[in-house]
Amino acid sequence: MTTPLHTPAVLVDDLRKSFFEEERGEVPAVDGISFEARPGEVFGLLGANGAGKTTTLRMLSTVLRPTSGSATVMGHDVVTESEKVRQSLGFYSASTALYPRLTARETLEFFARINGYPPSRVPARVDELVDRFGIREYEHGRVEKLSSGMKQKVSIARTIAHDPPVLIFDEPTVGLDVMNAIEMVKVISELKADGKAVLYSSHIMSEVEKLCDRIGILHRGRLLALGTLDELREATGEHYLEDIFVRFVTDESGAAGALPGAFGELESDAS
Amino acid sequence: MIGPLLRNELRMLLRDTRTILIAVVAPVVLVPGYILLTGAVDDRESARLDSATYTWALVGDEIAWGERTVEAALALPADSGEAETIFERTAVMAELDPEAVERRTELADSLLEAGEIQVVVVARQARAEDSLDVATPVLSLRYRSGSDLSRSARGRLENRLERYRETVRDALYASAGFPVDRSDVAVVVDDNVATAAKEGGRFLARFLLPLVVMLMLAGGSIIAADTISGEKERGTLETLLTSAAGRSEIVRAKLLAIIVVGLAVVVVNVANLGLYLTIGILEVPEGLALDLSFGQLGLLVLIFVPLAGLVAAALLLISGFAKSYREYQLYQPVLFLAFLLPSLAALLPGLELQSVVVLVPIAGLSVATGAVLAGGWSLPWGLAAIASTSIAALLLLRWVEIVLSNERLITSASWDEADFRGGAALFPRHVLTWFLTLWVLFFLVSLWFGDALGVRGQIVVNLVGVFLGGSAWLVHRYRLDPVEVLSLRAPGWTSWPAVLVGAPSFLVLGIGVAQLVNTYLFPVPQSLLEAFSEGLTLNLGVLQLLFFLALMPGVLEEIAFRGVLLHGLRRRLASPWIAAIACGAVFGLFHVSLFRIVPTGLLGIMLALVVLRTRSIYPAMLWHFLNNALALVPAELEWIEADVVIPAWGYAVAAAGLVTSFLLLRPAQR
Repeated sequence: MTTPLHTPAVLVDDLRKSFFEEERGEVPAVDGISFEARPGEVFGLLGANGAGKTTTLRMLSTVLRPTSGSATVMGHDVVTESEKVRQSLGFYSASTALYPRLTARETLEFFARINGYPPSRVPARVDELVDRFGIREYEHGRVEKLSSGMKQKVSIARTIAHDPPVLIFDEPTVGLDVMNAIEMVKVISELKADGKAVLYSSHIMSEVEKLCDRIGILHRGRLLALGTLDELREATGEHYLEDIFVRFVTDESGAAGALPGAFGELESDAS
Repeated sequence: MIGPLLRNELRMLLRDTRTILIAVVAPVVLVPGYILLTGAVDDRESARLDSATYTWALVGDEIAWGERTVEAALALPADSGEAETIFERTAVMAELDPEAVERRTELADSLLEAGEIQVVVVARQARAEDSLDVATPVLSLRYRSGSDLSRSARGRLENRLERYRETVRDALYASAGFPVDRSDVAVVVDDNVATAAKEGGRFLARFLLPLVVMLMLAGGSIIAADTISGEKERGTLETLLTSAAGRSEIVRAKLLAIIVVGLAVVVVNVANLGLYLTIGILEVPEGLALDLSFGQLGLLVLIFVPLAGLVAAALLLISGFAKSYREYQLYQPVLFLAFLLPSLAALLPGLELQSVVVLVPIAGLSVATGAVLAGGWSLPWGLAAIASTSIAALLLLRWVEIVLSNERLITSASWDEADFRGGAALFPRHVLTWFLTLWVLFFLVSLWFGDALGVRGQIVVNLVGVFLGGSAWLVHRYRLDPVEVLSLRAPGWTSWPAVLVGAPSFLVLGIGVAQLVNTYLFPVPQSLLEAFSEGLTLNLGVLQLLFFLALMPGVLEEIAFRGVLLHGLRRRLASPWIAAIACGAVFGLFHVSLFRIVPTGLLGIMLALVVLRTRSIYPAMLWHFLNNALALVPAELEWIEADVVIPAWGYAVAAAGLVTSFLLLRPAQR
């Protein structure tokens, strides 16, 4: 691993998560992965459904408890300082819905407050977000009445309401139409430019290629490769990320034997 | 941080217009509407009945006498308080020959059926079925209960006839030389020395708590259904859990929201009731008045606070367990019943505040409410009742927090696989249901075949049929590995001396605990204890006693409880300690005699710990056998007195023995 230029915002060290299954006993969903993410970079986790992406990100968001290993977010341990960890990150996924009966503005106020943003500065912060994401027109409309594109904007604004230094986007483009997906990618680049550390998971190669400074290829709970796109190209001799990915995964599968069984995936599908 | 969370919950509820309309506004508007409407209908109906003309017919073989009597009765002036009623004899019957009794009766009945007439007077000789001991003529009134008019006619005519009878009787007395002024005859009047306020208190004492419980449950449900199960369904739970708000803050905010809404509904309904009483839509029952002192009100508030907490925590818990709205609604009626039954404790005659009931959440409060309102209040006992419900509320709250920390909330997908794969993965989720089934079976056997089977027969059927058979069925049904499920492996060798020391030590300590409880907590009446120990005397002889009550339970109950049940619970529950406690609780419930639940439950926990520590079932079997044998045989052979007193050093030795034993319990070296 290269020496970090900045202090890492996210530091993951030999993180493991097993689920207990009666027939197979302990099944590792995440099997000893280590990586770091720095301010101002987008770190991409690339993997098929069930590779362990969501489980990893949920451990970072403290919703799941690691079986072993450690992870810190802005220096706070995910197990012992979970509240501080959650204060320093924004978590976005297809399964983090909004409260339908709140208005857009109330949503942003609510999440800014419960994430510990200084109460006196909340209105100004919300105004800023409303302008930035072009929510002004419908800021007093209830979320249930908004279109999916509007909801997506509110949802992203909700994620960064408390201006956290670390952002996690777990398969954010799943289920979005093309225009909304493009918008999402644009927002993430902006966040990177703001100096945020962004963790991004996807199985869509083109997005990862375009967006990520460094890429981790995750397969069956293990990190098969880690590096910039150029480093990965160099290591495999392939140009396109898709080919690079296939190369790593088939090498690994060839070594490890059969493909995972039909019910072998422990992780819930985010879509 | 609780502030914004709570505000958010309430704001979202208030925006849910349909829920507010249906759950709060509708009852408030509909109840007076209903009362007014039924009142108006009643008024109209009674006006109609008062102004109606009632037609009657006369039949029977004593028609001349009957005609005289009825006409005379109708000629009496209306009594005070009785409405002036117009009776008219039907003209249709006039043409018929008075002697044609049967034809007249037929015609009268058909007229009655057709509604042409309202009542038929049958004047006849008394018959055997009238159960009159004199042979006088009888007037029997035939009417049609399906018709309001006919019913009313019968009642009014009967009143008249009764009054006529009194008049005639008075006249007879007078003519026989007994001048009777009716007011001289003693008239019995009730005179209750209790004041109306006391009566009101007694009335309220019975119904106040159940009423508040129901209103709290109904009111709290409005928001509880939405608060966790709704969040799961809408997918907002993960959003909330990834925010900086802590789990306990989320739980507390949601709890407060439920309490606020529940109390608001209680207040709205009580105010509504007060309003009706004030403006006279409803009337206070006669002889009741409400007169509460500030002291009483203060105590009631003190009682209702933990009640509100417990109700809210229970609602929150089922909301946390339920995966969806629909599932929540499934649990709700069960919860309502579970709360309503203990809240009715004040209705039980003879149940006093100074008793074990204070330890039962809600039931204790119910009796305490009764004591505050109707007398019998005692501060320490009342506080004990408040404490028991408060503790229950806190435990439930803690449980909700654990439920919210449960990873399955978020990663439900991995668990739903079990539904696909079936078999062993499903077993931990079904194990308690199966044991409930076994429990029912167990009791049906005792209930239906108890007498026929005799003691030995019952033991054999229950142990072999229910426990062993049930275990075998479960192992087969879920394709479980018997060695794994029943822990059929050798323990570490030190476990054997450990059991030999541990079992008698545990038994001695058990006696000590039972005596402590008996002396200080809630004294069990001596007569009950004697009756109980008599029930244990079986006259079986030592060898049979050992076989039926020590060896068989030792082996077969261990297979069912520390084998199958514990295997399932261990995979269901996070901590082995909780699994052991749950296992003990279920075991205790199978020994339903009230005085045995707790000691058997403790034994069950101990045996579960033995299995968990040694990873083998055999030491637990030996322990169980020794425990039962030592408890029964010395008493049976009269080696010891029934009320033997164990000295303090005996307990000290036993405690040391149990600790040593626990340390020596080891799994086999691998």
